[in-house]
Amino acid sequence: MTETISAEMEKAAYREAAKAGMPTLFGVGAWGLVVGVAMIKAGLTVPQALGMTLLVFAGSAQLASLPLIAAHAPAWVIFLTALVVNLRFVIFSAILAPHFSYLPWKQRAWLGYLSGDISVGLFMYRYPEPGFDRRKLPYLKGLIFPNWTAWQVGSVIGILLGSQVPASWGLGFAGTLAILCIMLPLVMNKAALVGVAVAGAIALASAHMPYKLGLLIAVLAGMAVAMAVEEWLEKRAHGNNSNGRDGQGQI
Amino acid sequence: MSDIDVWLVIILLAVATFIARSSFWLAGHHINLPKRVQEALRYAPACALAAIILPDMVLTNGEVDVAISNPRLVAGIAACAFFLVKRNMLMTIFFGMAVYTYIRLGL
Repeated sequence: MTETISAEMEKAAYREAAKAGMPTLFGVGAWGLVVGVAMIKAGLTVPQALGMTLLVFAGSAQLASLPLIAAHAPAWVIFLTALVVNLRFVIFSAILAPHFSYLPWKQRAWLGYLSGDISVGLFMYRYPEPGFDRRKLPYLKGLIFPNWTAWQVGSVIGILLGSQVPASWGLGFAGTLAILCIMLPLVMNKAALVGVAVAGAIALASAHMPYKLGLLIAVLAGMAVAMAVEEWLEKRAHGNNSNGRDGQGQI
Repeated sequence: MSDIDVWLVIILLAVATFIARSSFWLAGHHINLPKRVQEALRYAPACALAAIILPDMVLTNGEVDVAISNPRLVAGIAACAFFLVKRNMLMTIFFGMAVYTYIRLGL
């Protein structure tokens, strides 16, 4: 009796999640399509592009790697770049993983691998608190399976389409625009804005450096400057609030 | 890049996805990132993405090109403004591609 009730509950949770994720699927598929086209336009063959979409399953890291592959950057530079671009997932996974710590490790490994930005966002919206709830697992699956499918269908269409569209249409630029759209929401405060400006400027100035090393220097410098600005802003706000007249006297 | 090299990169990228998405699922209770490191990490992706696209938009044949005739720069700035208002990725890509094509073909 209780078995059938909980099985029903789990099915209902899966359906609820699928419904919650529905409005995002078109966007996910279209985004997959853009990445699919961009992979072909960057010079990957159709089998390579299919392999990349099926194995890597991370649009922004894939897009970031394409100009580096085209520029014959060394594999380790491309790997490090993808890791850096993927860093947001480390933070997401730190948030999501405690909900499922009771599962066997193999299952945790592939659940984590399939949990992209949108799925994590929707899951946290529905279940903000950690702790055991047997509906959480089907809910997560109801988010990640349709998400994966929409992404792969879009990507494969993009790959096949990309090989038909002539290079003169300049579709590769859509990849740059897509990265722009991922980057902008990540610039969440003044410190991040300064960091991004510094990283961009250094990337420009060091564009001639071999092995695309300028990229890594740009990221490190951008991070360091963003941290310094954040600290400076905090100190200033703190000084104004707590010290009042004394604070001004010291300056 | 040779076929083998590209496949090596693809495998490495898959590893990068796995490390980023699954590390905390597998070893979360063993990892304790200092607060400073966590804060610094928040800024890394935006910096990396900016460092990738800015040269793409600004450089023409390796030289800085900030003229109005540079279609990638103008379309990039226009797309940036469009996204900040509309907050919609697909519409922004369509809009940016339209501006890019318009300038590039000298319409």
